[in-house]
Amino acid sequence: MKLGRYELTLEPRPALPPFHAVLTAVVAILLALAFSSVLFLSAETNIFTAYRAVFSYAFFNSHGLLATVHRSIFLLFCTYAFLVPLRAGLWNIGLPGQVYAGGLAGFAVPFVLGAPQVRALPPDLLIVLMMVAAATAGAAVGGFAGVLRARFQVNEILVTMMLNSIIFWLVAYMIKEGGPFMSATGEGESFGLPVPLHAPLLLGVPFTALLALGAAVLLDPLFAKTALGYRIRAFGESPAAARYGGIIPMALSLVVFLLGGAFAGLAGYHYFAAVPGVYKIPGNYGYYGDLGFYGIICALIARGSSLGAVPIVVLFAGLSLGARFAQGELRLPFGVDYALLGLLMITFVASHVLYRFRFAWRRIPPEALPHVSAELPQE
Amino acid sequence: MWELLARSLEASTIFLFAALGELISQRAGVLNVGLEGLMLFGGTAAFITAQTTSSYPLGLLAGLAIGGFLGLAHGFFCITLRGDQVVSGMGLWILSFGLTTYLGNPYTGPLGLERVPRFFGLSPFYPLGVMLVATAWFLLFRTSHGLAIRSVGENPGAAEASGIPVAVIRYLCVTSGGILAGLSGATYTLSYNPVWNYNFLMGWGFVSLALVFFSMWNPWILLAGASLFGIMWQLSLSPELVLPGVLSRYVWRTVPFAITIPILCVISTPWFRTRWGLAKPEALGRPYAKE
Repeated sequence: MKLGRYELTLEPRPALPPFHAVLTAVVAILLALAFSSVLFLSAETNIFTAYRAVFSYAFFNSHGLLATVHRSIFLLFCTYAFLVPLRAGLWNIGLPGQVYAGGLAGFAVPFVLGAPQVRALPPDLLIVLMMVAAATAGAAVGGFAGVLRARFQVNEILVTMMLNSIIFWLVAYMIKEGGPFMSATGEGESFGLPVPLHAPLLLGVPFTALLALGAAVLLDPLFAKTALGYRIRAFGESPAAARYGGIIPMALSLVVFLLGGAFAGLAGYHYFAAVPGVYKIPGNYGYYGDLGFYGIICALIARGSSLGAVPIVVLFAGLSLGARFAQGELRLPFGVDYALLGLLMITFVASHVLYRFRFAWRRIPPEALPHVSAELPQE
Repeated sequence: MWELLARSLEASTIFLFAALGELISQRAGVLNVGLEGLMLFGGTAAFITAQTTSSYPLGLLAGLAIGGFLGLAHGFFCITLRGDQVVSGMGLWILSFGLTTYLGNPYTGPLGLERVPRFFGLSPFYPLGVMLVATAWFLLFRTSHGLAIRSVGENPGAAEASGIPVAVIRYLCVTSGGILAGLSGATYTLSYNPVWNYNFLMGWGFVSLALVFFSMWNPWILLAGASLFGIMWQLSLSPELVLPGVLSRYVWRTVPFAITIPILCVISTPWFRTRWGLAKPEALGRPYAKE
């Protein structure tokens, strides 16, 4: 674009210093918050009252803070479920499906064993079994998309999305209208877990927190320092070049989707079987699947860094919870948390441009400008 | 039986409009995976406008306008900024999913207008869909503009060299794709099922996206595929008409999605690709930078 003697262009930039990457992420988040204040405005509420309600519930209220922690663990698992395939250039948007699969598999353990067995076996063993089942189911669902991607070059976005719908309806089948997992008392939700199978708590937080934080610490070195991490990154940068370098696309797609799916399965286990006060697959399980999409944003804004995702996850967990609380408190319309999700996504997409390009503002040398006669026209 | 067929054909127009828009956009080399988002936003805008103004034409117009605007936004990101088309498409989808849930929620419930008039039980949108397919086919394969669109999707560099304005063509195609997606959403909320509910589409958009791949980028095959899926979708909603009492109704709901996966696998095999799939636009999904 030309403006007089100056020219404004978009120039690609080869690499982005980490400081700029963090800055762009912060700006994207702040912009999304600014946009969502338009929503609060339209609901005729004072913005500061609204944000104070959101933050004070999420972070400065003992009940809300605990809920934020539970949700953060869930979102961390979802974030890693998306992040690992993303590093290999693949989009795992099957988070909801894998979360449901994890929940179903976890509940299948006590269901299949039956009440007498559950009483006879040590609860710790059963809890480990449930967790392994959840991770395996998530991994199987993810791995299915990974195999199809590698073997037939089937678009993984389409396959994972189809799997989301399929498993969504399977859960409905299992827990509603006389399905196998339906509770004896209530319509539309699963049986509750027996008390010994409730996940052990450490300081009021389920032990799954340790797994999530362990993944946060371990994933970054995995990508940076190990051969597998190198392969994943190489495949993500250029699948063709990686293949010439001896990386087997089939194995690699499978590995990242298995790993990602396992994380999402654990997220399902965590929310349905480990969060105090839940311990069942509720009728509104779809909401937890939708929440999984926050994992996509967190991984994208964190630019694939597992440790970098932690503060972002905690912030969004708090915001989405606080927004729900505020909408009840201030009588806002339903879905502020969904709106925030959408706005975050679009500010991220906009900031994505700033990662890759910069605005260059330079003066055009006079000889390049079209010659304009300075003399008065002669008679 | 006729009622079921008419209803199925109406369902298939929803797939058809969205997929036809996507087909045109993909023919010009731009992939929009956020199709479902455009449909959600278009449908919600149409519903809210129709309800507040009690006018179907205004609602339809709002749906088209929002769809076109989002298509244009996708174009700006992919064509002008040369961004990643998947990132932008996913962004549009999640944006629409989130915002429509918030904006549409006060309108949850039935539309409350008299139903769109039908001819022998058939919605007027179906003949419109067939006409649009014929028009799109004629435009793409029988006119010089169509040749320009296809060449932009195959080899934008060569197209530019022969004097075709690549960016302009891509913008036009992406925007008209968006308008058609808006039309598809509006058909859903105004005529097919005039009850607003959050995330009312639940996968229609992604099935439409898959249909474009099934169609081998040919509007007539797309029409056949959309009709087939419309019938299948309607049957999955009321399985008791065919097999009463077999399996839970929830299990039947998975069928259209489950069928999509093996079809996707078959059309992705090297055998199929070399035999039939050569129609895939060569430059699909790749940003084009003018030399």
